[in-house]
Order: sequence, then structure tokens, then C-alpha cells
Amino acid sequence: MIRFDGLGKTYGALVAVRDLTLEVRPGEVYALLGPNGAGKTTALRCLATLLSPTSGFASVGGADVVDEPLQVRARIAFLAASMGLYERLTARELIQYFGRLQGLEGSGLEERVDEMVALFEIGDFSARLCGRLSTGQRQRVSLARALVHDPPALILDEPTLGLDVLSGRTIYDFIERERSRGKAILFSTHQMEEVELLADRVGVLAEGRLVAEGTVPELIALTGAPSLTRAFLDLVVPVGAGAAP
Amino acid sequence: MTAWRTVFAKELRETLRDRRTLVMMIAVPVLLYPVILIASEQLLLFGMRQLEAEAAAVALTGDVSGLLYEVVGTREGLRLVPIGQDAVEAVRSDSVSAVAIVTATPGSADAASVRIVYDAASDPSLRGRRELRAAVDEWADSVLARRIGAQGLPTDFARPVHVADTSVALPQEVGGYTLGRILPLLLVVITLLGAFYPAIDLAAGEKERGTLETLMTAPVPARAIVTGKFVTVALIAVVAAALNLGSMLLTFQTGLLQLTTALGLEVRLPWSAVAVIFLTLIPLAILFGALFLGIAVRSSSFKEAQNALTPVYMLVLIPAMLPIFPGIDFGPMLSVVPVAGVSLLFRDLMIGEARWGLATLVIGSTMLYAAGALAFAAASFGNERVLFGGGSGSTDDGTGWRARLREAAGSGRVPSPEAAMLFVAGVAVLFFWAGVALQLRLGERGLLAAEWLLLFVPALLFVRLGGFDPVATMQLRAPSRRALGGALLLIVGATPVAWGIGWIQTFFLPIPWEVLEGLEDLVTADSPGRLAWLLFLLAVTPALCEEVVFRGVLLGGTRSLTPWRFVVLNGLVFGAFHLSFETAIRFLPTAWLGMVIAWAVWRTRSLWTGVLMHVLNNGAIVVLASVPALRTAFMDPDAPPPFWLVPVALLGLTAGYRLVSSVPKTSTPSTSGVA
Repeated sequence: MIRFDGLGKTYGALVAVRDLTLEVRPGEVYALLGPNGAGKTTALRCLATLLSPTSGFASVGGADVVDEPLQVRARIAFLAASMGLYERLTARELIQYFGRLQGLEGSGLEERVDEMVALFEIGDFSARLCGRLSTGQRQRVSLARALVHDPPALILDEPTLGLDVLSGRTIYDFIERERSRGKAILFSTHQMEEVELLADRVGVLAEGRLVAEGTVPELIALTGAPSLTRAFLDLVVPVGAGAAP
Repeated sequence: MTAWRTVFAKELRETLRDRRTLVMMIAVPVLLYPVILIASEQLLLFGMRQLEAEAAAVALTGDVSGLLYEVVGTREGLRLVPIGQDAVEAVRSDSVSAVAIVTATPGSADAASVRIVYDAASDPSLRGRRELRAAVDEWADSVLARRIGAQGLPTDFARPVHVADTSVALPQEVGGYTLGRILPLLLVVITLLGAFYPAIDLAAGEKERGTLETLMTAPVPARAIVTGKFVTVALIAVVAAALNLGSMLLTFQTGLLQLTTALGLEVRLPWSAVAVIFLTLIPLAILFGALFLGIAVRSSSFKEAQNALTPVYMLVLIPAMLPIFPGIDFGPMLSVVPVAGVSLLFRDLMIGEARWGLATLVIGSTMLYAAGALAFAAASFGNERVLFGGGSGSTDDGTGWRARLREAAGSGRVPSPEAAMLFVAGVAVLFFWAGVALQLRLGERGLLAAEWLLLFVPALLFVRLGGFDPVATMQLRAPSRRALGGALLLIVGATPVAWGIGWIQTFFLPIPWEVLEGLEDLVTADSPGRLAWLLFLLAVTPALCEEVVFRGVLLGGTRSLTPWRFVVLNGLVFGAFHLSFETAIRFLPTAWLGMVIAWAVWRTRSLWTGVLMHVLNNGAIVVLASVPALRTAFMDPDAPPPFWLVPVALLGLTAGYRLVSSVPKTSTPSTSGVA
């Protein structure tokens, strides 16, 4: 469903992503793990057609991000780290707006919005302006907004960034539910427990390069480390940089 | 619903919920203007009445006749007071508002000269002077009448001709004439302000709130998003302008009736013209909406967008103010100047002299500019560097122009485009104020000092203090013989073209004669020693000092742009630098030369190529002006360039281009410290 094939992205002399190849299958949750500046956000933005790859390819459901960007956008739900909402629209208006941009209209749109309102328990504050919502409420509206057109692929850029435990729980539940509905889910994160809890497979990015890929047990076995955190550190810290004397 | 309409409907809804926009769009025109205007009128009337309420204290000194005492003493509005001090002191200390000093003419019984001492910076004193002058005139009339009577002549003997005015202007024409001077500026500013905040909010505001990234992942083309936003901004600007226009005119019509009556004027508004003016506001609103949107989206925050748009706002004011100045003739040339055309069309509509041909040109050209601005806005929205700053992939990665400027100032081998432009802007301002002052005070020595101290030295300091690589920035490499030969041929071709451009310009922009004379005096030498001095002052000095700034720092800093962009930019900035109050005509020829030199320096990777071309161009002008035979042949400003220069120019440019293009490329220095 989601495929990167030798994708590279540079900004002048700076190489943000180099030769990234990975695949996320329907019903699979794939975690992109990496330190700050590793290229996670750039890779996800390339997939979401926000950035153009400098080399290589990426596609969603067979649609190429460069040649068929509109088809790609129709097949993804993209949740940016900023989770920005239109402050002067109500929660319901916001979901309706993105539904319309996705081509929904009339009774079909209203039914879908009602579904989202019910699914994310937005009913109590659906008529409230987004600028007056709490962080947790905003996050639920963001998810409803992203999912209104029921796309087959989900791209989540650090979805729990800045959220408390309870709000984070909503995200976990959401990912579990969408996986069970056969969605291909690619998310970036720094959180090891998130990865252990949710990811079917993990890709470790360092300095723009995919340095390791596999299930959590496979990564631990690969490095011989006692935990995922330790394995991660072994994979991303340059050789010798963190070695004990 | 089509995508752009969806975006438009949402943007309009959000905008109408924005208190700031509503205040600017509705509250200001509906409430504030009438309040401000009526308050101003009342204060003006109050002030006038206050001034008139009390009699002005005046004094008479010198050989004052009894009749004059009588006239002044009995005149309403004047109060005669004695002064025990000097007249100037009395006025300065506000003891009196004005003093008439009378000096009797020797040998005459009633003739005298009168000098009125007053304070031109004081309203009461100005009024005292006016009243006292009227009293003295009355006294003079009395003296004259007495003399005429004594001679037995008729009373109109001294004034055989009576003059009276009759204006053929209808009251609405008077109203149009009065408003036609100020209303265009107000309307342009109001339309601009109407688009200002919505454009920032819909572009930079969206980026700042983090919603643009989400929006751009919807399956909608960027142009649909831009169109939806742009229609919102333009609509708000038109509505704001219409509300302002209506409110302002109603205020003029009703609120100021009292003032016009008090001033004895009959003023009516040309309402039919107002309707047409409203229609011409639409293309203007479209232009501002598109332009502001395109600029605002390049800013990463509301505040940064405000900073970016403020210079545009200031620039727009200049053409918008044209109707205020008398004698501005509205012709085809001005009709296609952005904003100026619309502004002058407003004026002509108000005075009932609009010509439909010009109106069509104005509206057509404004729509054309608007289309260009819209394409610019659409390109901005589709540009990932604009949307995300082209940085490391984080939305707040600090890769805005300020961050890049800081980075360039500290670490790059060559300055960034922004740092280079900022430096040239600073140097230009310094040269404009200090350089002109030096030239006025010290003449040619001042010009010499200005070139070296205000251009050369700052350029070296900028490179040194900025930590840039002087060789990479200034391209201080020795040119090859081929490069020098090519540069020589290029300037031989480019100089006649510059001459031709200047000559063509004279058909549209006449050269003031006194400016021409001044320039000719400056470049003409009458002795070999003087010629050597002028060659040093006007050819060698600018070639070194201006080249280090324009083909050194500016070209060095902008080489990261595409070649045609930095070449055109270099020429335009070079041309703008040579602008002055009197010599607008120099802009295009100088810009052309700047582009040719910039291209040659970039292609040969040597500043010395530019220095050579600059010396040859300027030196040629000095030599042509100084050798009498050449001056006669070449320096007639009305004559076109000799025809034989056309093949010379073509040959020079072609051969120079080919020769310079064949200079082998060496490695281009990196434009950032990252590499």
C-alpha cells in the first residue's frame, strides 16, 4: 500500500533523506524511529506530496507521489505534528470542510461527519469553535478531520507529541482500530514504548538513512542489546561516539 | 461545490468571525470616519470662532497720522494697544499680534510707507496682520479719496477697471475637483488596507497556526486553494473600500455641509462618477489581493508578513499620491503605471473629465498586473521552499530569511542573497544622504570621498566583519586574456545600446535642460590635466568602488539564484542606485550596462572584467565630452546615435558574448557554509 523506493531528498548541500526503501502493507503498522533531524518528517512529507523527492520514488496504493499527487492525497490521512486547526471554525464545520475538499457532498458528507462525530465522541463540543477546545478535544477533531474520507493509508507524524497519557491513549486506540480495519499505517516517533506497543515493524532512520528494519524482537536480536532503547542507541549513535573507555 | 468555492466559503466564514477584520472593514468606515471628520470640522470651526471672538491686539508706531489712529481704533476686530518696547519684541512676547511701523515720506503731507511686523508661525498674529493690513489699506483708500476729491476728479479715477470672476463650474464639479485631489489616495489606501490583514491571515497566519500543511494534503490543486483565498481577500477589500467610500462621501455631503457653508462654497458630490469609481476599485482590489497573498505566504508568521508587506504599502503610496500634485497630466504612459493609473482615473472621474480610452488602458493593465500577481501567488503556494522554508524538515526549523541572514553573516563563505541585498540597501541609503551632502559641500572632492568612503570601505568591512571569503565573494581572480578581450568587445557593443535606450527614453521622459548642462560640465575637461583628473574621478574610481559593491558583494551573494535572475537583479539594483531626483532617465541605460557587466563577471569569474568594462564605459563618456571634435559629433542630446553604431553594437555584443562564453569554467565557490 505504502512504498518508498530509493527515495532521496536534499536541501542544497544538506541530505535529509537518502536512498530510503520500505513498504507498509494493508493492516500493518510501521513505526519510523529516529533522532531529531534523522529525516522522518521529510520522508513523511514526501509521501504526503508536500515535498518533492530529489531522487527515487514513493507511492500510495500504486499512485506515484510526483506524477499523481491528487490521487495520493485522496488515499491518505495525514496528521502533522503541529495538529493545527482553524480556530474560527467549529469542530463540525472543520470536519465538513475537509470532507468537501475530499470530494464528499450532500447527505453522504453529513452522514460521514456524523459517523466521525460519534466515533471520536465529539458530539458535546461539535458546535464549539476549535480555538476554544482543550488539547485532547483538538486531537480528536484532528483525527476525525484526517479520517473523514476513510482513506486506506494513514501517515502520522509524531502523533502523540505534546499529549498527556490519556490523550495518547486515544491515539493508540485509534491506531489499533484502524489496523483492524485493514489500513496501512506509517507513523514517526521518538517514543520506544509507543513502538513496542503498536508497531508490527520498525524502521530506524539515522542521518537520513534507513539503518535497520524489522520487528522489535528482530532489532533487539540484531544489536544484541537488552532493550529496544539500547538497540536504538546502538543503531543511531555513530561507532565509537558513545563507547565506554 | 468546486474546490475553490469550498475554500472561498470557508475563508469567508472564518474571516467574518475575525474581530480584527470586522473592525477594519465595518467599524472603521461606518463609525470612525464620520466621527473623525465631524470632530475635525467642529474643532476647525471652534478654532476659527475662537480666533474671531476676540479683537486682535495691534499697535502703531512711527509717524502715525490721526486718520490712521482713527481707522484702526474704530475697526471691528482690532484693539489698539500702546507698546513701550521694540516692535519685534512686542510681537515675540505676544503683547500684541502685529505692529504697523509708519514712516512718513519726506516732503509729503499724507504719504507714508508702512511695515507690518508679525509672527508667521502664530495663528493669532497672522490674523492680526490680516486685520491690520485691511485697516492700513482702508486708511490708504481714504488718503487717496481725499486727494482725488481735492483735485475734483471722479471717485473711480484711480480704479478705472473693475474685475470680477465668474466660475462656470457646477457645484458638483467643484465638489469633484476638491475631492478629486484627496479621494484617490484615500481610496487606494483603504482598498489596500482592506486586503492587507485578510491576506496576511489567510497566508502567513495559516502557516503560523500549522494548518497550511494539513490543507495542502487535501486532494485539491494549489491553484484552487489560492483562488479561493484570493477571491476572499479581493472581496473583502472591495467591500471595505465600498463601505469606506460610501461612508466618507456621506460624511462629506452632510457632515461638512456646515463648513462649506461657512466658507461660502457650494459643493455637491458627483454621485454618478462615484458608481464608476466603485467599479474601477475591483481590479485594484484584485491586484492587491493577489500581490499581498503571494508575498504573505512567503513569510512564516503574521508579524513577518506585516514586515514584508509594509514596504509594499509605502511604495504604493507614491503613485497613489499623484493626483494631489497639480499639473500631473494623465496620459497613456501614466495609465499603465500600477496604482498611478487607477488613482489618476479616480481624479478624472471626479472632475468629469475621464477618457474611456485611458480608462480601458488603466483597467486592462491593472487586470494584467493582477493576473501576474495571481500567478506569483499560485507559484508561491505550490513551492515547497516557501511552504516549509526548504530546511531540515521541521515546520519551525528557523529557516526563514532572518535565520538564513544570521547564518550567512556568521558562517558562509559568501553572503546570502538577503545579506547582500541588505548591505547594498544600507550603502545606497548612506550614499543618498551622506554622499549627496559631501558632493554639495566639497564638489568633486566630495564625490571622490563618497565613492571611496561610502562604497569601497563599507564593502571591504562587510566582507571582513561578516567573515566571508574575500576571493570567493568578490571573485578576485585574474582574468584570462580571452575574458578581457571578450569583456572589451562586450562593452564596445553595450555602450551604444545604452545610448540608444537613453535616446528612445527622451521621447517619453524629457531631460531637464539644467540637468543636462550640469552633467556635461561635470564630464567635460578643458586641459590634459583636467582630463586625467576626470578619468580618475569618473572612470577609475567608480569602476573600483561600485564594482566591489555590485559585482562584488551583490553578485557574490546572489549567485545561488538562477543566472538570469541574479543578472537582472544586479542590473536593476545598479540602475536604481544611479537614480536621483533629477536623473530618472539614467535608470534603464545603467540597468542595461549593469546586467551586461554582471553577466560578464559571473561568466569570467573575475571582478576585474567588470572593472575594465566600467572604466571603458565611463572613460569613453569623459573623452567624448572633452575632445571638441568628438563632442560635436556625439554629444547632441537631441540627435539619435549614429547609424553606423548599430553594426558596431551588434558585432561587439555577438563577438563579446561568444568570446566570454568560451572562457573555460572553473569550480564555482559554494554559496553556503554547509558544503
